[in-house]
Amino acid sequence: MVAAVLAIKFRTQRHVLERERWRIMIVVGGAVWAVVLLPWAVFGANALASQPNNVREDALVAIALIAAIGWVVVPVLITGLDDTLDPGRFAPFGVGARRIMAGLTVAAFITIPVMFFAAIFLILTLAWRDGGAVIVLVAALGVLLTLASFVFGARVAAMWSSRVLSSRRGRGAAVVVVVVGLALIVPLAFALFSDGLESVLETDVVVFLDQLAVTPIGAGMSAPNVAMQGDWWGAAWRLGELALWLLVLWGAWRANVTYSLVHPRFRGAGTRRRDDTMVAAAKVPRLERPVRSSVLSRLAPGRSGAATAVRVRLLRYWFSDPRYLANMLGVFVFPVVFVALVMPITGLDTRWAFLAPVLLAASIGWGRHNDVAYDSSALWLDVVSGRIGADVLRGRMSAIVTWALPATIAACVAVVLWTGLWSVAPALLGACVGVLGLTLGVSAVSSVVFPYRAPAPGENPLGAEVGSVGAGLVAQLVSSAATVVLLPIVILPLVLALAVDPRWAWLACIAGLVIGPATYIWGVRIAGRLYDSHSGKLLGAVT
Amino acid sequence: MSHASLGATPNPGSAAPAIALRGLTKRFGTTLAVDAIDLDIPSGSFYGMVGPNGAGKTTTLSMATGLLTPDAGTALIHGVDLWAAPDAAKRMMGVLPDGLYSFDRLTGAELISYAGLLRGLDRDTVVERRDDLLAALDLEAAGRTLVTDYSAGMTKKVALACALVHAPRVLVLDEPFEAVDPVSAGAIRRILTSFVESGGTVVMSSHVMALVERLCDRVAVVGAGRILAEGTLDDVRDGRELEERFVELVGDVTDQRDLAWLRQS
Repeated sequence: MVAAVLAIKFRTQRHVLERERWRIMIVVGGAVWAVVLLPWAVFGANALASQPNNVREDALVAIALIAAIGWVVVPVLITGLDDTLDPGRFAPFGVGARRIMAGLTVAAFITIPVMFFAAIFLILTLAWRDGGAVIVLVAALGVLLTLASFVFGARVAAMWSSRVLSSRRGRGAAVVVVVVGLALIVPLAFALFSDGLESVLETDVVVFLDQLAVTPIGAGMSAPNVAMQGDWWGAAWRLGELALWLLVLWGAWRANVTYSLVHPRFRGAGTRRRDDTMVAAAKVPRLERPVRSSVLSRLAPGRSGAATAVRVRLLRYWFSDPRYLANMLGVFVFPVVFVALVMPITGLDTRWAFLAPVLLAASIGWGRHNDVAYDSSALWLDVVSGRIGADVLRGRMSAIVTWALPATIAACVAVVLWTGLWSVAPALLGACVGVLGLTLGVSAVSSVVFPYRAPAPGENPLGAEVGSVGAGLVAQLVSSAATVVLLPIVILPLVLALAVDPRWAWLACIAGLVIGPATYIWGVRIAGRLYDSHSGKLLGAVT
Repeated sequence: MSHASLGATPNPGSAAPAIALRGLTKRFGTTLAVDAIDLDIPSGSFYGMVGPNGAGKTTTLSMATGLLTPDAGTALIHGVDLWAAPDAAKRMMGVLPDGLYSFDRLTGAELISYAGLLRGLDRDTVVERRDDLLAALDLEAAGRTLVTDYSAGMTKKVALACALVHAPRVLVLDEPFEAVDPVSAGAIRRILTSFVESGGTVVMSSHVMALVERLCDRVAVVGAGRILAEGTLDDVRDGRELEERFVELVGDVTDQRDLAWLRQS
């Protein structure tokens, strides 16, 4: 059965590479990059070998911690787990978890990241070469067990996260946890870093790493150091603990496989709604709508029935579809990391906090550069309903603005309250509105011109197809380039207001409040026209 | 649609075929999916499109409804070029595609309203037609449930309602009876038949020959991206069962191997 499972994996990967040959370039590029890194590992091992034992141990435990976070976070948030061997796909064949687990386990280890980490970790064991062959052997055993725990940990984390996000209650709980976590992380970080970075590095981090060394994350890395001090029982205990941890993780993975074999992915939301919100939103009949003056209607285009309908639909999706919710929560990561980690660690002036709302606005806007593709093949209904690209784009983008604008303004208010720099407040507001409008305008166009396959409804919101990293490379590059070229127009006056003279604030405010909405409307309009001319190609591009 | 707005559309005369395809071609990589199809679907006909899997039926219907840009050729809807004047052409058409998602986070009622509002109907018309359609398709009880909780047949029915809500002149339906239970299928048959009797046109693809023989007055047999036979049902049947004729046209399974090991005794 192991051979059969492995054969499925390799044949699928071969077929994917044969169909889309450009992916070979990514694989080759990744391999070259990995090989280039290996000499650095040798260099690092040599540098560590000349350090005292406890410094070696702390460094290796820190490396293990960072790698462990990467192994959990990257598949969950960024690349998605390779779903070639999604256990659910074995369900129709009537095989039990017992029969496929061996194959899945072996397959999980035959991947490029595992090979890469195994090579790096094994090279790093050379740091213990002055202890003799037995110590290096203990070190090698430690790193291999640690790596195995990463591999199993990644599977468990990815499967649990998609299981949590597939139920309504789970989604609600996840949102609460993330919000509370974000609210706690900033004050905690500031309390921690209040004595300056150096004292943190000298005391807190060392204490933390020593604690970590006895947990499964660091146990494998610290075992050789303990052994070198002659404490063989201590080394055996650490390796044994890690082995036990591996068994627990493997058991959790297996339990998840068993579960997914008998629980086909259920897309149901399990809710009953009373009212037809579509009709409720379309309250004003078209003919009775007051005639707007031409200037006003150019600035704030009147919503047609179709645009309102699209907006109502998108708002429903934003607040109930895990794919959209994951995206909505994701945009807060970058600004919070900046304020909570980058600023205190690098000791930046508090004025840098003004960057956080700007980052938030940019993350929201740029993050929607593939917006249309989230409809998946359901967009047929919009396409067959006539030449309504302008309405579709207006509805889509205004749904984003509905939550993005309040979120951005709330971030602005929070930052101004915290820094007390009220004189620069108008500049911040202007810059944020400008950035949001600009990036949304760019995204509207990009999502119509360069759509690429997004997770389909009901799929893992955090998932990706086999090797789909790079599928949207053109879209990402073009939309990033356009964003980078355009953003200085609205950000520069804010920088001048912060760094040179607060009087720039009013220019920044006016520039942002004019340029943002103008580029937004302009982008949405162009995108609407392009939607009509590209309508016969969209369906093929997003499925 | 009023007479005033009828005059605005370029020659939607009743003499023109409901759908006229001219040299419609689509190539996917090295596969020629649709090979310069010419086809006239007369106004007022109940038209059946049959063909083996992968024959190019769905691709042809996608190009005739604005979902897929053709590599070459034109599609005229009552004389209006779909790809040159999509607004006027799409207004006349109701479409039910096969194998695509619906916006399933809306309730059934909301999805129908959504389709109506996209078509520019006013609120009162939408409410009236939505309720009529939910009742006619036996979806009233499920109208307040999200489409994501629907069975395959219910999803099909609500998508059909979306195709009907703006009272089109031409209905293009890809496998409208697939997964639909017999009671609902009867309701759909009655709706479509009376639509055709009142002067509308239905184009339907199906794999069920008995259904095509029962409903359609004209048939096209599609194979390998071409029209193999086309005409009135009796012309195409040529005195035999449609299924027999179909197999003759597209060719039977060449290797009719006997699965001896599957026999129970």
